[in-house]
Amino acid sequence: MKTALIVISLFLLHSGTQAQELPSAKDIIKSAIDNYRGISSYSEASMTIRRPDWERTVSMKAWTEDLDRSLVRITAPVKDKNSGTLVIDDNMWSYAPKINRVIKIPASMSNQSWMGSDFSNNDVARADDLIEKYTHTILETTEKNGIKQYLIRSIPHEDAPVVWGKELLTIDERYVVHKHEFYDQDNILIKTMTSSNTKLIDGKYVSLKQRMQKTDTPDEWTELETHNIQFNVPMKANMFTLYNLQNPR
Amino acid sequence: MTTNWRFAWRNIWRHPRRTILTMLAIAFGAALLVFSIGFQLGQYDLMIKGSVSIYEGLIQVQKKGYLDEPKMRNSIEDIQSLAKQLRNKTSIDSISARANGFALVSSEKRSYGTLIAGVETAYEKLVSIIPGTVREGHYLSSDTAQEIIIGKSLAKNLQITIGDELTLMGNGRDGSIAATILPVVGIYQSGSKELDRNLIQMPIKTFQDTFGMGTHGHAIVFFHDDVKQLSLFKQEINQIIPDNKSLVTLTWDELQPGIKQAIELDYSSGWFMYLVLVAVITFSILNTFLMSVLERTREFGIMLALGYKPLNIGKLVMLEAFILTLFALALGTLIGLSINLYFAYYGLSFEGMEEIASVYNMPSTLYPQISLESILIGPLVIFIFTIISALYPAIKIRKLQPVEAMRKI
Repeated sequence: MKTALIVISLFLLHSGTQAQELPSAKDIIKSAIDNYRGISSYSEASMTIRRPDWERTVSMKAWTEDLDRSLVRITAPVKDKNSGTLVIDDNMWSYAPKINRVIKIPASMSNQSWMGSDFSNNDVARADDLIEKYTHTILETTEKNGIKQYLIRSIPHEDAPVVWGKELLTIDERYVVHKHEFYDQDNILIKTMTSSNTKLIDGKYVSLKQRMQKTDTPDEWTELETHNIQFNVPMKANMFTLYNLQNPR
Repeated sequence: MTTNWRFAWRNIWRHPRRTILTMLAIAFGAALLVFSIGFQLGQYDLMIKGSVSIYEGLIQVQKKGYLDEPKMRNSIEDIQSLAKQLRNKTSIDSISARANGFALVSSEKRSYGTLIAGVETAYEKLVSIIPGTVREGHYLSSDTAQEIIIGKSLAKNLQITIGDELTLMGNGRDGSIAATILPVVGIYQSGSKELDRNLIQMPIKTFQDTFGMGTHGHAIVFFHDDVKQLSLFKQEINQIIPDNKSLVTLTWDELQPGIKQAIELDYSSGWFMYLVLVAVITFSILNTFLMSVLERTREFGIMLALGYKPLNIGKLVMLEAFILTLFALALGTLIGLSINLYFAYYGLSFEGMEEIASVYNMPSTLYPQISLESILIGPLVIFIFTIISALYPAIKIRKLQPVEAMRKI
């Protein structure tokens, strides 16, 4: 009788923990990416590049669909108006109205700066690499202001075409990414993206401010501020085409 | 003292054949060192001259911090005027201004990220070999011409020939998008793989327009044949540079630390070989000295009995070694020097040298360096080592007991 009770209580305990089991690290990452990209999105944002002796702000519009298509178009300053970047799968194209040409960005340039900012071409490119090409582990779970936060370590697979040795992401249970740290192969922190100004939009929590900062230049950063974002908007059929990139309405 | 000198002189020539053989051994070693060190230093001179003449120059004036972080904004205002001023006021004539950038370069078929340099078309040929190695087409015609030249490997990678247009896209100094389409008017082949694959040159004003640079540029490049006057040149330049705090004058070893490291590495491994050679010479000399002392034990015994102090006998032996070495080294240095003088005039070339030479843009014929350092450093080291080896028998003498010594054969 006694033993039976213990067995039952153990069983209950066990099933109890199972019911409360944490989501897997990969699921959290996937949900977080899904959260800010949605099935499709349209946003208006401004990007400020800060340097010790100067500052530059660029305004842009961005469209995304699924995880592998996106189009960014510059709206200001006038000099760069209508310049754009199109991403489809692993391909990236840039359009310069000044010369009216579309140029394919080769993979070897993926680590170069995007539009002179602290974001790299890779940061702007497709978002699902992090899901498929990395191994994720939850390092710790903490609570901040009553919201659970996960610290996730993502290590790229041996064969992944990635320059990083390790990435650390802080994601909360609402699937908002708070911090994304990039480490090189020698485990040295190279750059950090921090997010702030989290708002509830269309039933999702979204950070409207993102700052990318390289570790060795503390007085330089790039800040991307989203002014308006809509999710699940219908896209016109030719949105993600080279034609559309080159012929903005 | 004079007695000692006379004694020493006579003692040396007591066995003329042995003395001459020893002297020849030392002389041969000294000649060999003078010869090889001369050539080694001569080779370094060529390496430095070759490397700096390709592209980087002997000296560069840059904005402080540009060397470590070559950012477009780390630029010098009104760079062409400053270059002109330096051209007029220093004893260096080969001076040219450059602006540097990075762009994605695309042909119809392919794209590559490459370095772009805006150059003063009239002066670039004085500081770099690129204008002189244009194999197809011609070099840039004027500072405002809408054209570019490109390295042979890059042209091959982009699958283009003379007359084809390339699209350049990058970021300007003001952060805006820099984009232009320019025709290729020349293809150069400098021999430096890095440049041929990775550098496009365009006229400086065209560059400044494209990249929103205004009158800015990134480096003023100086070239001169005489590496030895480097510090003098640097001083001269520093006097003319207006604002010493924001501009820096960098010399070749700071611009291309790899060359200096290669030289230092080669030099130290060379010295290892020389030390082995010196050690062999030293031991053979030690043998001779020891023999000549041991066979004279009886003689030293008598000298001691006559009241000669052991210290004096030691001095005598040292003096013999000193005189012998000095004569031998003089002879050896003379031989080595005359060989080097011969080659300094006619040059020395090896088969298969061309390949190694081309890496550092060196001529395949070697010339030894004729300088006080190259001539004297080898003999000096031999001198020090032989005198140290002569100390051993000299010290041994001090332990001699006159009565016992006299009984020896």
